[in-house]
Amino acid sequence: MHHSIELIDIDVSVGGVPLLHNVNIEAMPCELAAIVGANGTGKTTLLKVANGTFRPDRGKVHVMHQDFLTHKDPDALRRDIATVPQRSNHNRFPIRVEEAVLMGRYGKIGVMRRPKDEDLGIAREAMRLTGILSLEKKLVHELSGGEQQKVALARALAQEPQILLLDEPTTHLDASSRTEIMETIRKMHKERQLTTLMVSHEAEWVGQYADKVYLLKDGTSHLTA
Amino acid sequence: MIGVFIISLNLVPLRFAMMHIALLGGAVGLFLKLDPMLFGLLFCTAAALALGPLSDKTKMGLGTLSGLFMTLTLALAFILFYKGQINVLQAFSILWGNILSLTLWDLVTVAATSLFIIAVVFLFFKEIQAILYDREVALSVGLPEKRLYYLIVFVLGLTIAVSMRLIGALLVDAFVLLPAIGANLVARSLKQMFLLSSLFGFVSGIGGLCLSVAVDVPASSMIILAASAIIGVCMFYGRRYHTHGKGF
Repeated sequence: MHHSIELIDIDVSVGGVPLLHNVNIEAMPCELAAIVGANGTGKTTLLKVANGTFRPDRGKVHVMHQDFLTHKDPDALRRDIATVPQRSNHNRFPIRVEEAVLMGRYGKIGVMRRPKDEDLGIAREAMRLTGILSLEKKLVHELSGGEQQKVALARALAQEPQILLLDEPTTHLDASSRTEIMETIRKMHKERQLTTLMVSHEAEWVGQYADKVYLLKDGTSHLTA
Repeated sequence: MIGVFIISLNLVPLRFAMMHIALLGGAVGLFLKLDPMLFGLLFCTAAALALGPLSDKTKMGLGTLSGLFMTLTLALAFILFYKGQINVLQAFSILWGNILSLTLWDLVTVAATSLFIIAVVFLFFKEIQAILYDREVALSVGLPEKRLYYLIVFVLGLTIAVSMRLIGALLVDAFVLLPAIGANLVARSLKQMFLLSSLFGFVSGIGGLCLSVAVDVPASSMIILAASAIIGVCMFYGRRYHTHGKGF
């Protein structure tokens, strides 16, 4: 069963200063919706509202037909929503690629439980789909920017989500790496029939991949395509 | 082993806050004419339970909150010293520790705490790995990130409190922090980090103690020098054998 994600009448202020007002964003089942806007317009904040890690001042977040903000177990909802953050902040933490990808399964495996062979198989398949199987034994901090981004995408895939949230997936990448990452995302989105919400400040190429594009400007959202 | 938490989550200020909270606990104990060591431990345990949730409620980072507690508890302790006419040297003695004067109850406390920590790390290994790697990732894959973070902070605070009683505040760094710094430079997995930091702590402790007897210098200084030498070796090894990726 495929699901939608809707942000309805979202208001956010940060430090008392209004940032977002009356924002309405929707990604229908199996749709790839993009949100573009300049830096500082609240795109990352909006994505955090979408995965329930940031509470807006007003509005509703409907995910998989449930209201995220009033749900009694948001961690359970979050297990079906994979988020790929803009930057990893793990510095030199020693973790191999295979472990970092398997981490996507941790929520579904459950607390104090060990991963099973099935979980290891799902993680390997995610690495294969993102083209990083040959890097599985390497440490994440030894990889290039593009390779680290693929690790984050593989982890999101390993989570077997219904909904995929991507925060600036191609920032700091050169043109060929950017194309490679976006083709990987397109393949993931199609093969797994995901509902995807992606934010980016690079409006010029986003339209090639998205089914619809929202522009975030002056604190509100406008559907452009 | 616990030093790995401090390094990975950048909780160095917490360790200093615990030292001052222990001092306040000791001051309360002396003021009430009760065991200052026990009160130091109780205050640290209570703080370890409260600091995580408090930093979230006040929206202050744990480092900032630790800074606040460091100064506030020191001020309160000195008020008690003054009002209770307490000998300051007697109060500060709870920070020195004395491994030779440990009672059976102390040993039971240390053993129980050690077993508790090992059990937590074993049972929650993958969850701890996720939190130490990236708290945002841990939250986004659906782990109960806040409760796990509070558990880590509690374990950390409890360890520092018990360690101070055993070896004193000054040596806590030598046994907890420095070995973890060395392990972080050469380990290729979290498991290796835990094992190496424990090994480095053991080697620097025993080696430093033996060297201090051989060359007739204070044991605590020699242990810290031994731990620092291990870090030096790890830096050399890490630079020689590890390649570095470009990163983001």
